[in-house]
Amino acid sequence: MKYAALWLTLLFTAGTAAAQSYLDCHFAPRWEQSGAKRQYDAANLFDYKDGGAEGYLIFGFVRMNTIDCRSGANTLTIDVSEMTGVDAAYGIFAGNLDPTQPATEIGMGGQVQAQSAIFAKGKYYVEIVETAADPSTNDSATMRAFASAVEMRLEGAVSPPAQLHWFPPGNVAPVRMVPESVLGLRELRRGYVATYVKGQAFIVLEDTPDAAALVLKALRAHFPGAIQVLVGDEAFQANAQYLDGVCIFRKGRVLAGYIHLPAPQEAAAQAEALAARIP
Amino acid sequence: MPSKTSRRSFLSASISAGLFAPLASASPAISALNPAEDAAPSASAVKLSYKTLGRTGLKVTTVGFGCMITSDPSVIERAADLGINYFDTARGYQHGNNERMVGAALGVRRKQVVLSTKTHAPDKAGMMQHLDESLKELNTDYIDIWYLHGRSGPPDIPDEHIEAQQLAKQQGKVRFVGVSTHSGQPQLIPWMIQKRVFDVVLAAYNFSMEPAMDEAIDAAAKAGLGVVAMKVMAGGFRSHRPGDPLADKLAQPGALLAALKWVVRNPNVATTIPSMTGMDQLDENLKAMDQPYSQADAKILAAHLEQIRPLYCSMCGQCGGACRKGLPVADVLRCLTYAEGYGQFALGRERYLELVSAQSARCADCASCTVHCPHGVRVARRMARAQELFA
Repeated sequence: MKYAALWLTLLFTAGTAAAQSYLDCHFAPRWEQSGAKRQYDAANLFDYKDGGAEGYLIFGFVRMNTIDCRSGANTLTIDVSEMTGVDAAYGIFAGNLDPTQPATEIGMGGQVQAQSAIFAKGKYYVEIVETAADPSTNDSATMRAFASAVEMRLEGAVSPPAQLHWFPPGNVAPVRMVPESVLGLRELRRGYVATYVKGQAFIVLEDTPDAAALVLKALRAHFPGAIQVLVGDEAFQANAQYLDGVCIFRKGRVLAGYIHLPAPQEAAAQAEALAARIP
Repeated sequence: MPSKTSRRSFLSASISAGLFAPLASASPAISALNPAEDAAPSASAVKLSYKTLGRTGLKVTTVGFGCMITSDPSVIERAADLGINYFDTARGYQHGNNERMVGAALGVRRKQVVLSTKTHAPDKAGMMQHLDESLKELNTDYIDIWYLHGRSGPPDIPDEHIEAQQLAKQQGKVRFVGVSTHSGQPQLIPWMIQKRVFDVVLAAYNFSMEPAMDEAIDAAAKAGLGVVAMKVMAGGFRSHRPGDPLADKLAQPGALLAALKWVVRNPNVATTIPSMTGMDQLDENLKAMDQPYSQADAKILAAHLEQIRPLYCSMCGQCGGACRKGLPVADVLRCLTYAEGYGQFALGRERYLELVSAQSARCADCASCTVHCPHGVRVARRMARAQELFA
């Protein structure tokens, strides 16, 4: 019994150490830790991020581990956020991705800039931000070194959520995960949106086909002029004030569709192609 | 800004006929297939209410729009079309993506609205760079109100920040300047008044706060500072917390509207910036301009306060001397309120560490607690929480 307890203690200690190994300031030369490591959860993230905390919580936030590093007059902070799942990690990452800058292959997606790096891996979202004495400093090599080292020490999938692959290719910006009210509609609780030169596609997963059918029915009430069309298991198309030509369909437990096309017929045609890609 | 008549007509049509009412140019063939659905119910126009934003002289709707967590631009477009005329974003929201989305959503409506953004840059050069980036992303050549983002006290605002704001004003890139603050308002606002260089304060303010906040806001308004309220739903530092009873209560129908109306009724608050992610939230929040704060609302909010009473000390002092170990119970609980109730962890910890007598004993050492709060605060549990958090 005594030995079992000892083993458990050792295992726990080792596990904790491994879990924290990604928080280290020595991933690049001349950087040293500054102050103690910190941890925040949903209850006190506001102490660190102020109002910005909502931007984490809305996606599904569990905790954040943080370390500050210093090199001369330059400081650097690594924030590793554990989110509720891969979709939440991808969601906050995509929300913070600068679409005007190139992405980098780190984890399931990343971006390295002169004084910052972000990436997502598994359920983790990582932000590395440098505050340099000279704001014009290009420290992207350092940012990349830190990002790669942290990424290696984090467990989790390097593939983004499967639903992203259902969208037709050709999107002009990274697919976004919308954590609440997709298209501004409460019924579409959480899902993905892809933007194309013409129009936007969206995908929302419900728990069951029946639940999805109920949501589709509720959605239709928002579009008084909607007419039924043959896409997926059931669908409608409409012309709307803010979404232009719209087609929304259900295929099994998936709700998806196209918006912002000049005419609903075009939206329906695109939706048909999208439906064919959904397993 | 569109005329009142046209806005009213639009409201009648859009609110009654559905959120995404068909365009006038929609195919008649499509409409003909659904005659029953096209018949709009009776009109129920929303009344907009306006206040003057302090010395800026800007007339703003008492319900504005906090864009931080909005994902779909259609919600912003529709809010602007319905007449909401104050929109708030920040350079730091989603690394600038939020400003880009807001700029695109407002589009041609830009000149009809008051647009505010914020900078968190640490120095003057960085601030001016942020400003140029904000102007570009928001697709505008001026910002109506440019805030210093998230300051907790005068030390957070060095002279160079004020210089940058004044320079931006001189350059015509911003019309008015302000400070946004989540904590420390009772210290920060009097300082802002004294400095006479700020036009607006954007402060966290809601029904669960202490009277000190009312006094600070009252003083700000009297001094001509425009007051914009955020965290009006008592969200933020309390909502989204797993197991938080208040979060669950606020999720109930009517609760958020009551909280918003509570803020709107304060004559010293010019506008509010509730976050909105969907059309139904927008419709709900619009009601705060049309419906007065009622007894029913007060009842709802009182129930919420009752819910949090076991957590928060009202500092009545009746527990003084009751702890057998001599712990300053009310003072310790006050520190906890700073941290958990007002999101000021650093302040709470600082105050706690100043309480020398608080370090003398641990509540866990006592088998039972001799302090019984007449207002129902669970003293032993809350004291243990404070020690766990700060010690």
